[in-house]
Formats: sequence, structure tokens, C-alpha cells
Amino acid sequence: MTWFSLSVRRWGRITKFLSLFCLCLFLVVSCGTRQSTTTPTSTSSSANTTTGDGRITIGTTQKPRTLDPSDAYELASLGLVYNMSDRLYTYEPGSTEIKPQLATALPKVSQDGLTYTIPLRQGVVFHDNTPFNAKAMEFTIQRFIGNGGKPSFLLKDVVDSVKATGDYELTIKLKKQFAAFPSLLAFSGVCPISPKAYEIGTGKFKPNIFVGTGPYKLANFGPDSLRFDVFDKYWGDKPANSGINLQILSSPANLFNTFRTGAVDVAYLSLEPDQIRNLEESTTRGDWQAITAQGSVVSYMVLNRNQKPLDQLKVRQAVTALIDRPLIMQRVLYGQAEALYSMVPTTFNVYQSVFKDKYGDGHFDQAKQLLTTAGFSKANPAKLQIWYPTSSPTRALAAQTLKALADQKMDGILQFEISPVESATFFKNVDQGLYPIALLDWYPDFLDADNYIQPFLDCQKGSDAKGCEEGGSQNEGSFYYSEAMNKLIAQERQEQNPEARKKIFAAIQTLEATDIPYIPLWQDKDYVFARKGVSGVQLDPTQNLIYKTIKK
Amino acid sequence: MSRSKALQYYIITRLLLAPLMLLTITTIVFLLLRATPGDPADAILGGHAPESAKQELRKQLGLDLPLWLQYLNYIGQMLRLDLGTSLTSRGQPVWEVIGQYFPATAELAVCSMAIALIVGIGIGTLSASRPGTFFDVGGRLFGIITYSLPMFWMGMVLQLIFSVQLGWFPLGTRFSSSLPAPVGITGLYTIDSLLSGNFIQFFTALHHLALPSLTLGVLLSGIFERIVRVNLKQTLRADYVEAARARGIPERKILISHALKNALIPVITVLGLTFASLLGGAILTEVTFSWPGLANKLYEAISLRDYPTVQGVLVFFAVIVVVASILIDILNAYVDPRIKY
Repeated sequence: MTWFSLSVRRWGRITKFLSLFCLCLFLVVSCGTRQSTTTPTSTSSSANTTTGDGRITIGTTQKPRTLDPSDAYELASLGLVYNMSDRLYTYEPGSTEIKPQLATALPKVSQDGLTYTIPLRQGVVFHDNTPFNAKAMEFTIQRFIGNGGKPSFLLKDVVDSVKATGDYELTIKLKKQFAAFPSLLAFSGVCPISPKAYEIGTGKFKPNIFVGTGPYKLANFGPDSLRFDVFDKYWGDKPANSGINLQILSSPANLFNTFRTGAVDVAYLSLEPDQIRNLEESTTRGDWQAITAQGSVVSYMVLNRNQKPLDQLKVRQAVTALIDRPLIMQRVLYGQAEALYSMVPTTFNVYQSVFKDKYGDGHFDQAKQLLTTAGFSKANPAKLQIWYPTSSPTRALAAQTLKALADQKMDGILQFEISPVESATFFKNVDQGLYPIALLDWYPDFLDADNYIQPFLDCQKGSDAKGCEEGGSQNEGSFYYSEAMNKLIAQERQEQNPEARKKIFAAIQTLEATDIPYIPLWQDKDYVFARKGVSGVQLDPTQNLIYKTIKK
Repeated sequence: MSRSKALQYYIITRLLLAPLMLLTITTIVFLLLRATPGDPADAILGGHAPESAKQELRKQLGLDLPLWLQYLNYIGQMLRLDLGTSLTSRGQPVWEVIGQYFPATAELAVCSMAIALIVGIGIGTLSASRPGTFFDVGGRLFGIITYSLPMFWMGMVLQLIFSVQLGWFPLGTRFSSSLPAPVGITGLYTIDSLLSGNFIQFFTALHHLALPSLTLGVLLSGIFERIVRVNLKQTLRADYVEAARARGIPERKILISHALKNALIPVITVLGLTFASLLGGAILTEVTFSWPGLANKLYEAISLRDYPTVQGVLVFFAVIVVVASILIDILNAYVDPRIKY
């Protein structure tokens, strides 16, 4: 007998049974298990974690590529590494000043500024119960450099040798003086890892595990969710919650709706500006709260001096003068950012509002005058292309706003043409010098003003005629070359005295505003949304959400 | 040559041609990826990393080698069934990536296909058996609408209705992050939770699976509905059906026992072809519903120019489609004695 040879009556019965079964299943599935952030019932024996109250569910669109600290270089990975680890130094929330964490004091720096001696904390153990000591820290730094991960260049270019000079004393020798070096040790990826769990060797990464010393240990790393359990042998203050569940969503729209429907306690990174505005406006209903913090990410415009007509200073000045940051803040970012007038963000005490003092905002007459002096007119307009990656709707809107401004206010003397391009292609072409103007943003590696200056303005090889041929400014697409700037950067890197360093940074910012290889646009504000009843939500200055203080 | 021998000969030919087909596919994938603008080093390190770091990464990944040498290395790896190591999750073999993400796609695909078949055949039968009625018109409309609706749009509408407004289903993801995910040999959450006897996990998995599979299933059902309706209408006009009616056999029995089983034969052929659409459609469904499947991973890998992962996943998909089409051909030959090879 085959299926086809069943009688009509039996087919009818089967159809009725199936329909009834499907209906019941639909009702059970849709009404039975409502999404919930708490899990009151215990679950299967296969569970290796507790799922009782007190766990916090965080929603994000940031999918971690790896959990190996020596290869983690994106916010998604570093944010998780940060919460499962300790560093030698860390930042207080809301401050860019470093303080010791696994070190017991700030480093002792030798007279020549090349040797850093760091005393280490005792009584700390890794998640696999291996004791933390100077040898483990030596292993960590050697691995960070030696395995050749994404951020390895941060230490590779600076560190000459690292040695455990005592059980709890680490000595690091630098290749050249670098005053911001302690800040580099606060980079999340330079966290101690268990020598028993990892190995040194080019490309020998372990993307799916993490064995550090932090307050949480990794319980599960799934494709769309991660679970962190509290590490009961943690040396410091215990977390205020009993664990973290991280839910990864594929789009800001899904994160927005998932948070609104109450499926996650906290939503962080990355919501679109209009979604943030919507959630912020509805905080008055009391279902959720918005927590904001001053961000460290800066958005800016690159002006390629090797492309005509941007090789003329007057044209660069004209573009700078016409930019109306308050309008961009209002129309594009709905007030979710701060206008920026230097490449160094306002969070640093060396910040100088040089672009505001020199050019202001929306000075169209000045811009027209500069372009006219440079030989442009309505009949012979200056034509400039603005390029940006398609992955950024904010930059798309900013480019459109700038184009509209030029079209309306510049009487046809300046014409912007906006050109979106796929991200991977965009980044490939920036350092090739293909784009006259590009819109970019910068996520700092470590919190020191140097990290907003050196990667952009330093040039190792170049000339006034050809511009930069090798170095930071070539890599960033401006091809800026200035002997004076190179000298100032070298000076600030050597200077240990904060006040003297501050003066050098002031000179650098002034020179930058004079030569205009970049135009700073805005500095992000970071937004976290937490459901009613959730407290202790904080961000550290490097945009990391601090898990251990969250409770409900 | 007898029919069974011809069939054996055909199967052997198909199996022998399969590696050639896969070699062609892998070569096209290899060349297309290299022709795509962008560079893995830029995509992985981001635009701000120093050139020296990018150069070093290119060297590490073998991207500094001439294209022909990269191709030979790649083919050599393929012959050893080594798909390489992911460039993004460095240190993770591509086979492991496939093993991690494929169960989610398989679960979604199987469930969607089941929904597509049940809905498509059901509505197609109803429509064909009642010509000129509301059911006929409704069936036609259903076929056209589901065939033409964009997958992501349908997904978002269902999300808005059933998740945001009614709150019946989760917006996406494969499992609740507040519960430990089922662990088992198949990687299919519904099956693994049933095998471990954990019904909370089973219903949670089903709850999460419902909306994405309904979206994909209903949209694919239009294809089956149209085929069943057209074929069944033709079959119902056939002489042997008239003869059955003349013998006084009830209409329902004629429909189900005599006409439908003949009308379903083309469905088997289309089933094979739909497999490719299913995997293509899965990308949009998985992205819309934050479904952590292989198609979603492929989308990510393409954005990051993760060559080994893209190549590995596409070859894996190609193998599935090739194997599925061979199986469908064999099945067709067994079911329909008129087919000759």
C-alpha cells in the first residue's frame, strides 16, 4: 500500500488531524511561551549555567568576530573581552585618566623614557585557576605581538622587549619614547590571558574561548547569543547581577523592536539616530530609561591635497567655512552628537576649538570670497566629489545636507557631487588617493590625544611637492605632509610632562586648522537604553558597556 | 537497454559529472571574489590600520601570491576536502563555521519546505477542484501574490503584526538568550530538545522558528500552488478521470486517489529547483529575522571579503544543490515510468 492508495475517508481523517494538530501547535507556540527576560524555571540537565533571576539580557547588533584578545580589534569583540578581563590599567567611567587595575601603581619610567617598570597585583587567578603573575603578563604581551593579530601593530611598533623581572614585577622596554604608553596598556586586548589556555605562534588564535581574570567567565558562545557567568574567584568587587545573556540581532530595526517589546533588558549599539530619538522621546512613559555618555568616536572629512582643486589651500578653507555643524547636528543627528572643532575630542583637556575660532560655521560669504580669489566662478565652478561608505546612513545624510547647503547658498560657485560606495571598496580606495573628499569616523585604540593626531597627520616619507607617500596621512587619504607637524608629533610623543605636552598639542591643533588636511565634524554621544527597574548602567570612555554594575 | 540499466547509467554519468560541475562552480566563485573590488586586509583591519599591518596580513593570508598560485593552492585544498581557515574568525576552520551555522539553515529550510508543500498543495488542490468559484480565484491570487512579494518585506510585515503588535512570536533569533540552547548531535534545536526530552526548550525553539519558516514557507508555497492547480486542472479533464466518473466513483475519491497523485509528479521536479531558491531566500529571511544560519554568515563573509568562508560556503551550497538535483532525478525516474534516460 502506498500513500496514494489510501481511501478518500482516510485522507480526510489525516487532513482533519493535521489541521487540528497545526491549529493546536500554533496556539500553544504563540500563546504558551511569551518572550521573557527572566527565566523562572530551571531547564535541562545539559544546562551548564543557572538561569534564575538576576541575569541581565543585553541586546546588540554588534556581532563579535573573535574573543581572542590578541586578534580582537572591533568594538563588538573588545567590549566582550573588556567585561571578561582586567587590564594593567583602566579608566574610571567618565574620565580619560588611567588608574591601576592589575598593576598596583602607575609605571616607573626610566630617565631616558624607554623603560617602564610595573608592579603587579597578587592573589589574582585566571578563569582556569592558573595564578596570575608577571610571567603570565609577559606571555600575554609576547603573544599579543607575536601572533600577528589585528591590533598587534599597536605594541609591535612600540615595544622592544618585555620581561618578568620579579614574580610580580614586569619590565617593558620601548623602541622609542612614547609618553602615551600606559594608555596603550589599558587597551582591552592587552589583558592577561592564561598561559595554559593559549599558545604563542603566528596565526595561532582561539576565537571561541576566553580565559582571563575578569569578573565574568564565558559560559557559551553561540552564533546569535553569548552567556557569561560570574567568576566566583574574582579578586575584585563581585558583579551586581548573577550573569549576562547577550542577544545578537542582525539589524538596528530588530534591536529597536526587540527592546520595545521587552525581550531584552538593555539595548546598546547600534541604533539609528531616528530610533534613538523615538526611544528617547518615549522615556517619559516610564517603560525605559536612556543613559547617555560622551563618546570618544569622532567623525570627520578628509581633504585629499593631491586632488585638484583641493591642492589649493583657499579651496580647502572655503569648504571648511561653509560647513554648518549645528545644522548637521539638528538635521542629521537629532542632537545625538556634539559639534567638533578639532580632531582631538572635547573629552581631553588638550582640546582647542581651533576650527570654530578660525572658520566658524556656515560662513558662506567667506567661502564664496575664498573660491572667487582662487579663480572659481559661477561659469567655472569648483566641483568636488564627496565619498562615503554605504554602510553608514548617518554619513549619507550628512553628505546630502552638505550638498544641499552648497547648492542653496554658494550661488553655483561650488558644486558637491555625492558618491556612496560599498565599505570594503571604500576603505581599499581611501589610501590610494582616489577620493577628493571622504567622510570617515575614528574609533580610538587608546585614550590619549596622540591617538587622534599621529595616525592622521604623521608622515614618514614624503615631500611638499608629492605629499605623503608613506605614513598615517597617506593611509587616511589626505596625503598631508608637513615637516613642522612631524616634529611636533615626535615632541609630544617624547614629552612626559603633561603641561608641556598640552602646549605641543595646542600647536599641533593650530597647525592642523591652518593646513586643513581634515575637517572635524562631530563627536558621538553614546546611548544605552535600559528597561524600567534596571539600574547601574554605565559606559566606560572607550564605549564599552560595563556589565558588572548592571542590576535589576 | 533495459530501463533499470539506463537509469543506472544515467546515475553514474551524473555522479561523474558532479565533480566537474563543482570544479566549474569553485573556479567561478574564486575568480568572481578576486574580481570584486575591495581587499580582505582592508575589510578585516579597517581603513585606519597602517599599511605595514595590511601588508603583513596579506602575506599571512597568502594574498600576496600571484593569482594562479592562489588558485592552485585553493584547488589543492579542495581536493583534500580542506576549505581553509576563516579570515575573520581567525583560527577557525571553515568546516567548523559550516558545522556551527548550517543546522540553523537546515532547520529553517526543512520547516519552510514543509510549510510550502502543505500550503501550496492544499490551496492548489482546493483551487483546481472548484473551478470558477471563490476558491479558484483566491488560489490564483494567492499564487500570484506570494510569488511576487519580496521576502524581506513580507518578513518585516509579519514581524510587525505578530511580534510587535500582537506579541505572539519573538522578532527573531533562533533561541531565547535567557535559556541555555539545546545541545545535541543534530544541531537542530527542535530535534535535540525532543531527544533530550526537554519540552520547554522544544517549544521555545518552535516559537522562534515559527515566524521565519512561515515567511519563507508561505512565499515558496506560491510556486507549488500554481503547479498543482494547473496540473490538477489538466488531469481532471483527462479521459481516465472521465471514465472514473462514468463508473460512479465519488468526486473526492477521484480527486485524491486518481488525479492528485498524477498531478503531483511535476512537484517533485520543482522541489529540486526550489531548493536553490530556498537557499537564496534563506539569506533574506535569516537577515530579516536575525536567524544565525549559514546564509546569514555568507552575507557577513561577503561584506568582510572573507574569501575562504565565502568559497567554502558556496561550494557547500553547490554540493547540496547538485546532490538534491541528482536525488530528485532518480526519484522522478522511479515515480514516473514514462521518463526515459
